[in-house]
Amino acid sequence: MIEAHAAADEQDRALVTRFLEGHRDAANGLVDRYHQRVFNVALRMLDNVQDAEDVTQNVFLKAFLKLRTYDPRYRFFSWIYRMTVNEALNSLKRRKRTVPLEDELDVRAPGLAADRAAELQDRLGKALMSLKPDDRAVVVLRHFVSFSYREIAEVLEIPVKTVKSRLFTARERLSLTLRGQGA
Amino acid sequence: MLNRHQIELIHQEIDGANTPEQSTAFRALVEGNPEARALEADLRTVAQLFDRGGERQPPPHLRQAILDALPRQARATSGWDVIGEPLRAIVHGLLTGGGVMSRKAMLFGGAAVAIVIVVAGIVTGFPPGRHEAGTIGGVEPAARYHGRVMTEADVTLKNPEIQALFQNDQVLQLVKSDAFREVMNNQASRLLLASDAYRLVLNNPAYHQLMASQAYQQLAASQAFRDLQANQAYQQVMASQAYQQVAASQAYQQLMASQAFRDLEARGAFREAQSAEAMHALQASQAYRDLQANHAFRDLQANQAFQQLQANQAFQQLQANQAFQQLQANQAFQQLQANQAFQQLQANQAFQQLQASQAFQQVQANQAFQQLQASEAFHSLAQSQALSQAFVQEAMRAKQ
Repeated sequence: MIEAHAAADEQDRALVTRFLEGHRDAANGLVDRYHQRVFNVALRMLDNVQDAEDVTQNVFLKAFLKLRTYDPRYRFFSWIYRMTVNEALNSLKRRKRTVPLEDELDVRAPGLAADRAAELQDRLGKALMSLKPDDRAVVVLRHFVSFSYREIAEVLEIPVKTVKSRLFTARERLSLTLRGQGA
Repeated sequence: MLNRHQIELIHQEIDGANTPEQSTAFRALVEGNPEARALEADLRTVAQLFDRGGERQPPPHLRQAILDALPRQARATSGWDVIGEPLRAIVHGLLTGGGVMSRKAMLFGGAAVAIVIVVAGIVTGFPPGRHEAGTIGGVEPAARYHGRVMTEADVTLKNPEIQALFQNDQVLQLVKSDAFREVMNNQASRLLLASDAYRLVLNNPAYHQLMASQAYQQLAASQAFRDLQANQAYQQVMASQAYQQVAASQAYQQLMASQAFRDLEARGAFREAQSAEAMHALQASQAYRDLQANHAFRDLQANQAFQQLQANQAFQQLQANQAFQQLQANQAFQQLQANQAFQQLQANQAFQQLQASQAFQQVQANQAFQQLQASEAFHSLAQSQALSQAFVQEAMRAKQ
């Protein structure tokens, strides 16, 4: 696992370097590697496909604009996931400030409503949204991205102790919520 | 009742984060404690549900949408710099008279189209007719409009780079400021944005290069330059036909780029040549003699527009202006004079029209505009690459 991470880090660094040297195709490589994962983190944080799309686009735009400031001593994925979480949190704040959209305008993946998997997604999404955004971020990174405590701490720039505290509390709460939903 | 340590052991076991010793302790705990077993079962169920949730496929268009929104220039080390800070424009000209004692050194600079205009264009959708505003409260990003045909307003407001701007505290601070709002309510600002000359200048590569130059950025930040902008004589000179012709002349541009001229300027020779003694010293200098022998200089002396300019009262007042004199001593200003992009811009017809427009003069003379230019947020924003990129795309859209 550690070796796989190291290889992935190396590939990321190579793509970043190529991009900074002017090779446009390197941008495609980075987008290919991360856009699905970024989208999924955003989706779990926001429980809305359209918002997750917006966040994903913003994250990549900012990432490429700021790529010169990226310190290659750190892992690219930490950097981009940090941006994703921050962007999602900002999106949530903006959602509070703007007039809520009508429920029927909340775009979800089409054609899956009757599907059992979609039902599960829906329940998980609702349960996640019952958490505080900071706690939700920890759960998302742990369960959907399979990050270790240390990696979550790195992404969110918080102590490992705080990661554990947030994760454990959130998971117990999720357990109660999902039990209430009949899961 | 489980204690905190026991609960942690259970969570960590589920996450695979326990050491072998901790795992042993965990097994002992659940074997002997029904409450621990129940908690473990609950938490494992939660973990398994999330694991089964898996990853969702992003919408098929998302990848391309991301790539389309990325900067056109991928070369981050220089590409962004070339795009630069295309949020302010400036024209500076520099002339010197010579040959006879009575002729004073002459130096004049140009004008600025400031970042606020561009920010305004992006934020409010000015000029009217290009695309309507659609912002909420002038600051908030627009709420999405699901289920209807996209309009040009949507395109502007939904652009990721525009949204990124709204997450910039400095941008928010700027657009909330009284000065910004006042400028936005200024009719001259609207007219300026709506002018073809303005759009043409914004699409001029020389303009972008100039904006990216360090000399320009230093100059634009200087107090002397801002004072000069507020000077009426300066504004009159900039608007005069004679000045436009001189600035566009080849002789003038060659002169500006000449080493002899720059040598004299670097020494502050023209600025100091107000007294007879200083003028004598100036004339005795090698650089001055080189200037006299300069072909471009001689052509300029013979240029009718140049002669008219020298006789212009506003121009004479300008030379006596303290801010103007300080500007002459400004190193960044001197570097700017020799900047090729600057010279190309000066020769650009649209730029000349822009400078000569009444709206442009009014915007420059507007106190709120000057306050805005002097604000820290304004300067910080001028350094924003995101804004630069947004602006370039906006300008390109306006061009289409």
